Amino acid sequence: MAYSRRVVSMFVVLIVVAVTAAQAGEKNAPPSQKIPKGSKVFVAPIADGFDSYLKDAIAKKKVPLEIATNRDQADYEITGTAETQKASTAKILIMGNWHSREEASITLSNIKSGEVVWAYSVHQEASTHGKRSSAESCAKHLKDAIEQGK
Amino acid sequence: MQNKRPPKVLVLVALILSVATYSQSAQSQENSSATDQNKPANETTPASNQPAKEAASDLKQASSEEGKLATVNDAKIPSYARVYVAPMLGGFENYIIAGLRNKKVPLTVVVDRSKADYEISGVSESEKAGWAKMLFIGVQNSNEQASIKIAHLKTGAVIFGYSVHKTNSARGKQSAGEACAKHIKQIVIE
Repeated sequence: MAYSRRVVSMFVVLIVVAVTAAQAGEKNAPPSQKIPKGSKVFVAPIADGFDSYLKDAIAKKKVPLEIATNRDQADYEITGTAETQKASTAKILIMGNWHSREEASITLSNIKSGEVVWAYSVHQEASTHGKRSSAESCAKHLKDAIEQGK
Repeated sequence: MQNKRPPKVLVLVALILSVATYSQSAQSQENSSATDQNKPANETTPASNQPAKEAASDLKQASSEEGKLATVNDAKIPSYARVYVAPMLGGFENYIIAGLRNKKVPLTVVVDRSKADYEISGVSESEKAGWAKMLFIGVQNSNEQASIKIAHLKTGAVIFGYSVHKTNSARGKQSAGEACAKHIKQIVIE
């Protein structure tokens, strides 16, 4: 009897060890990529005032998000970078192109979890409307991401 | 009869132990390459050049179309590991994050370094097309170059390095960021 008890207790201990080891070996869970409609988003200052263009574009493209003026009240935060290069004399004379070169990249992160849920970058070699075009491109893709849940 | 019992019990115990240790061993195998590199990576920090040469000898290089890739002992990153992308010159970290998403790299990017398992850091540089390039070659695209490395934050070991150089980059920093992301994907276990 004593022997069988000992064996049973050993089994119990080993099963507990196996379960805890299996839990420890689990893979990291993928983050939730869904951005709920109507979420409050704070647009952090971006170089050259790109954040203003982005706010306007979000409104113009009817992105289902609410812009928060205070970061503490927001669920998500948009950060990023933007760069504009005006057409040089050489570009105008040689290439016959007077449009500016626009580059921007934005990141949408969940403030609570600290995870980046969406990111997008745009490059326009000859942007017709400058920063406005790149900001609207960002807003359009953000809207698609929210509506498609991707 | 009782003499035959202990071997059966032992077999069962061995089976359960193997199940218990399986997941741990699988995980340790993934991390072993990173932890093994702890010594060489730490040795590179001192001023002496000898350890740096030893660490460099462990790097496995593979040239790709536009860049160079270096992994240390075939190190791998588990899928959905938490990665922090450190700020880089010209906001290049945003392009890398966008590239990771665009290339569907199964990693979780976090904005807080303390919550991350790995850190991506690096440098980037853009060279705009000059008048001579436009006049003689007829190209207005910029030249882009960037170099990144991935370090395991707990051990401090650098497990991956990649550098990219794009002449006449069609999409500027975006192309360079996506190239980095594409090659990061190669070392992520899916």
